[in-house]
Amino acid sequence: MPQNVAAELVDWIASWRRELRFGGYALAAALSPSTYVAATRTVAVKQIYFTAWQILLPFSLFMALFSLVVIQITMNVARNYDLSQFALELVVRALVLELIPLLIALFVALRSGAAIAAEVALMRQSGELEAAGENLLRHELVPRVAAAAISLVSLTVLNCAMALVLAYFSMYGFSPWAFDDYTRVVGYIFSLPIMAGFILKCIVFGAAVAVIPIVAGLEATERVRSVPVAVLNGMVRLFFVLGLLEVVSLAAKYI
Amino acid sequence: MISDKEPGFTLLPKDLEFKVKLLLILTVATAIAFVLYVMYARGVFEPTQRLILVVDNAEGVSVGMDLTFSGFSIGRVRRIVLRDDGKARIVIDVPLDDARWLRSTSIFTLERSLVGSSKIRVFTANLQDPPLEDRAERPVLRGDATEELPRMIAALKNTLENIEQMTATEGSLQASLGNVRTITERMGGRQGVLGGVLGSEDNAKKVVAAIDRANSLLTSLSGVSTKLDSALGKTDSMLGKTEQRVFGAGGVMDETQKAVAQANSILGEVRESLKKVDALLADAQVVGTNAKAATTDLRALRAEVDASLRKVANLIDEINRNWPFERETGIKLP
Repeated sequence: MPQNVAAELVDWIASWRRELRFGGYALAAALSPSTYVAATRTVAVKQIYFTAWQILLPFSLFMALFSLVVIQITMNVARNYDLSQFALELVVRALVLELIPLLIALFVALRSGAAIAAEVALMRQSGELEAAGENLLRHELVPRVAAAAISLVSLTVLNCAMALVLAYFSMYGFSPWAFDDYTRVVGYIFSLPIMAGFILKCIVFGAAVAVIPIVAGLEATERVRSVPVAVLNGMVRLFFVLGLLEVVSLAAKYI
Repeated sequence: MISDKEPGFTLLPKDLEFKVKLLLILTVATAIAFVLYVMYARGVFEPTQRLILVVDNAEGVSVGMDLTFSGFSIGRVRRIVLRDDGKARIVIDVPLDDARWLRSTSIFTLERSLVGSSKIRVFTANLQDPPLEDRAERPVLRGDATEELPRMIAALKNTLENIEQMTATEGSLQASLGNVRTITERMGGRQGVLGGVLGSEDNAKKVVAAIDRANSLLTSLSGVSTKLDSALGKTDSMLGKTEQRVFGAGGVMDETQKAVAQANSILGEVRESLKKVDALLADAQVVGTNAKAATTDLRALRAEVDASLRKVANLIDEINRNWPFERETGIKLP
């Protein structure tokens, strides 16, 4: 038994080392100009198209609906407790800073992460990956990592902006005269540390969603049955990493 | 690649690159616009002047808090530091546009409320005073709702105890309410308001009976006055008839005249009494609060009427005595 636990621990540490190594490699590749050739560019464009553009409209509609419901609930609760002056701050903090980025990260993980993990695992299983070697890693996987991260940031920025606009209209109706009030609250919330934390969170979420599924896929072996196990492990790990990042972000902000 | 492996499953549009570019441009534009907006919201583009508030306890003050004037935010806390003398120094940025509300005589307060954050307020009584200079240092008056709490609770407890005493089963309020209830019950009884005012139904009945008696007395009085009239008529006719006979008779004439004068005065008295009875009747109709007084009046009136009647009876007796032929209209011859 203890040997098993120790072996599992070693495996676990090893897989995390692989994650970090691949993440570091992807970052280095993304920053080196030699990666930017026409082929990688096409791969990245396609990845962004499938991850972000294709579902932009339905997903934005869903997020708008979700935002409206959360805004209304917050407003009503704040009014019931006679704290309506804090409703906007609460909405922005809960929705824009926490809920929307987390939901988008989970959505991108579901839409692209699972697909990427399965694809990489299959390539590994068929031996395609070993045949292509370093080249594939650089010209196929790295652009996809970058593209997934960019897609996530793009979706987050657009949906957060939409939520901010929706919050204004839900709170004040279509009157332009509350703009000063609104601006004051937004200025109060988005201090420099909060803004930097928000950007950092977006980037880290993007990196996690892109890197973890790929590394999970690389853990597949030649056996066919290792493919679903690798994908499953990757997705579970991704979920925990996202949750943990969110907890760390909340703790840093409010504790 | 999904599209490469299964070309039939997902179709790649021709303007794929354009769409992705559009998305990226939109994202970058939104991000830049938002950052600029936040910078504007935080007053980065606004020239500001600095105001330094000194307070002995900066509890509840946080960076980014508003300085309000008439309910409008005119400045924002930039930083809070503890000075060497142990007092807090609150540095506030006030946009130059809003600095005109700050005058040299302005008063600054820091209020802590029970719910919600603290508030820094500025009050300017005279807007004609010279403006507050940049980097001015001003003391802050502190008001703390929670500091008032213990005192308030003590006062409240006293008040509550008083109220409890008043509303207890044996308390004065209960007794008063009981009294009011008995009175209203009596008022609702057969004798109405009269019963309520006089205390019991018996008393009210007595008053009603007194009024009834007064009525019957009035009726008999009017009978008496009719009789008096006829008696006087008779007296007149007797006087007329006997005038020539008794004109010379000494003493009789004088007494008769006296009797007539008396009768006149008695009549006047009776008239007065009748007037009083009239007034009394008016009183009796609105009887209520002065019902008891009315009964006293009635008693006096009755005594008066009795006296008057007695006088009339006396007069008639006297006339009879002085006028022995009263009933015999004919003259007896010897």
